[in-house]
Amino acid sequence: MRNLIAKLALAAVVLGSSLGIAAAETANIWVRADGSNFMPRIVDAYNKAHTNQVKLDIIPNAEIIPKYGAAAAGGTAPDALSLDLIYTPSFAAAGQLEDITDWAKSLPYFSSLSPAHVKTGTYKDHIYGLPFSADASVLIWNKKLFKQAGLDPEKGPANWAEIAADAEKVNALGGNIKGFYFSGNCGGCNIFTFTPLIWASGGDILSEDGSKATLDSPQLRGAIDLYRSMVKKDLVPAGAQTDTGANFFAAFAAGNIGISPSGAFAIGALNTQYPDIDYGVTFLPGKDSGWSSFAGGDNFVVTKGTTKLAVVKEFLDFAYSLEGQTILAKYGSLPVRGDIAKDALKDLDPRYQIAAEAMAKGRTPYSVVFNDLINSANGPWTQMINEVFFGDDVDGAIANAQETMQSIIDQAPQK
Amino acid sequence: MTTIAAATAPLRARKLAGRRQWIGLLYVAPAVALVVVFFLIPLGMTAWMSLHNWPLMGEHFYIGLGNYVAILRDTRFWNALRFTAYYTVIVTIAIFVVAFPLALFVERPRPLTNLYRTMFFMPAVVGFASASLLWSWLLNVDSGLFSPAAYDLGLIDRKFNLLATFQPAFWSIIAMVVWKVAGFTMIILMAGLQSIPQDLQEAAVIDGAGPFARFRAITLPLMRRTLALALILSVAGSILAFDQFYIILRGGPRNQTLTAVYWIFNQSFVSFKLGYGAALSMVLLVVLVALSLVQLWLLRKPEGLD
Repeated sequence: MRNLIAKLALAAVVLGSSLGIAAAETANIWVRADGSNFMPRIVDAYNKAHTNQVKLDIIPNAEIIPKYGAAAAGGTAPDALSLDLIYTPSFAAAGQLEDITDWAKSLPYFSSLSPAHVKTGTYKDHIYGLPFSADASVLIWNKKLFKQAGLDPEKGPANWAEIAADAEKVNALGGNIKGFYFSGNCGGCNIFTFTPLIWASGGDILSEDGSKATLDSPQLRGAIDLYRSMVKKDLVPAGAQTDTGANFFAAFAAGNIGISPSGAFAIGALNTQYPDIDYGVTFLPGKDSGWSSFAGGDNFVVTKGTTKLAVVKEFLDFAYSLEGQTILAKYGSLPVRGDIAKDALKDLDPRYQIAAEAMAKGRTPYSVVFNDLINSANGPWTQMINEVFFGDDVDGAIANAQETMQSIIDQAPQK
Repeated sequence: MTTIAAATAPLRARKLAGRRQWIGLLYVAPAVALVVVFFLIPLGMTAWMSLHNWPLMGEHFYIGLGNYVAILRDTRFWNALRFTAYYTVIVTIAIFVVAFPLALFVERPRPLTNLYRTMFFMPAVVGFASASLLWSWLLNVDSGLFSPAAYDLGLIDRKFNLLATFQPAFWSIIAMVVWKVAGFTMIILMAGLQSIPQDLQEAAVIDGAGPFARFRAITLPLMRRTLALALILSVAGSILAFDQFYIILRGGPRNQTLTAVYWIFNQSFVSFKLGYGAALSMVLLVVLVALSLVQLWLLRKPEGLD
């Protein structure tokens, strides 16, 4: 008996001391499902190389904002969060985020961090978010189907007429092959991939400072007509009408879609998860020429008052290293450090170069009520796109959305 | 000595009674504690929050009845409430239309009765969220069951997206809820049917009453309480409907299936207006209590009848 106690005591001492030596801390980090390809890889790489650890939770895209809000209110928020950059202003305004201005400015490469991210990460001259992952919207096409349809597989559509014509030719292959795909009931997907068509043609849906909704434009009307005509000709699978974003990527990855607007993330996801799909990447074109892109992605933000700040900084430092940037790029995020972007992309798929260029010239709308206006499944933008792509009353739907969006903007708390 | 004993006896009795009361209180204490912790305190908290501008993140401050004034102008909430009422009426009728014949069918012992009862009741043990996920797959136009099956069997020329327009989407939800809930209502109604004394029915038969007359004059009046219970459960459940519309339809097509609870959820956790959501909840609570009182009054025991 005494022997046993002695052994137990010894075990306790050994265990205790080994814990004492390590003194590793674990920080909890959340990411939305868009990052489910690259985020686990970079967390693994970090955990292998450091004593401090990061525990990652992947949250569905549509749930992460309400979930984080609820967790923050209940005091169980993660230490840091890879947050859709669009939300940084409203989260910072709510006093939810740690001010990281000093640390950010002490980074030697601060000036070469993605400007779209830093702009949305800054609120009242203080920095609350730093770029983590970057994603630019692009157009992707299936080269195998293009070849079968008698099209040049190396040449993607460069204007709206070519999109419609190519989609029709691919669609003519018949069977379960369809010409075009988009998520017709997903506000977030369409702000990302549909508005660039409008931007590239000279229009916009919000004024520069986000204070006016500007839906009543010939450019928006024209882009709507492009999608409507393809729906009418049955070039789009019936499921698109009710797709809330679940098939945004999966539809093209199944290999029977000719053309689909998508994002840079698709390059990494297709290469690693669907290596058999032969696809091309090009810019989202304007009506006759030109192109545009939505510069999106995530800002890395720190929950106010976290005790794991050191771990979080160490993790972000690692993500900004050449090794980190290369891992991110390889699995679907564009580099966010301009000074080493070329090196990070050097050995990777050349299609990334198109996406990196799209990112560099991409646009990001700014609004503190972005979720209510655009991303909410029941917001005016989501309702409008579904009505105008599939419904009968296009003008009524646009007018209704214009009015609702403006009233949401006007009622927003003036911060 | 004896007088003292006689005098203390009632006192002791009183003491005993008092102690018994205390013991009684002790017995109900766990139940009371549950009600206080999980109902009364949250209710008070909700009422308190409804008087504040209370964002999910950041500082909150008192605004009196401001939220309630805003509700008066919130047309989308009233639309949601109107849709909820419409849904409640339709789904309650549908549930009873299906559950009552089922109850009559499984009430009396016959071969395989237990099998039928179990079969009809089974969907009731599935949670609403998992049932919704199951049906959202069944209803999917590209990879589900109904539309692809009808297409493959040659019943339709091109796949029909059941969830894309209001009527088919709405009736798909009704079908799903009836499938899920009718079995439970059936069990309640069956219990009511079984509690009707058989001799009443036999007496009526001897008096020459037909099956419809017996149903109307004996079965229905004697099932008043059971019907009240089933009705209140169904109405209250339907007014609080959320899961199926959130998971299968996301309030679509085009926000036409936003229920009151869905709107409260959106205001609280999408727009982060917790205080406003709390005020909406209070309004819904008042509506629900009023409706339940009306139902109890309608189905009260008629005078002079035991």
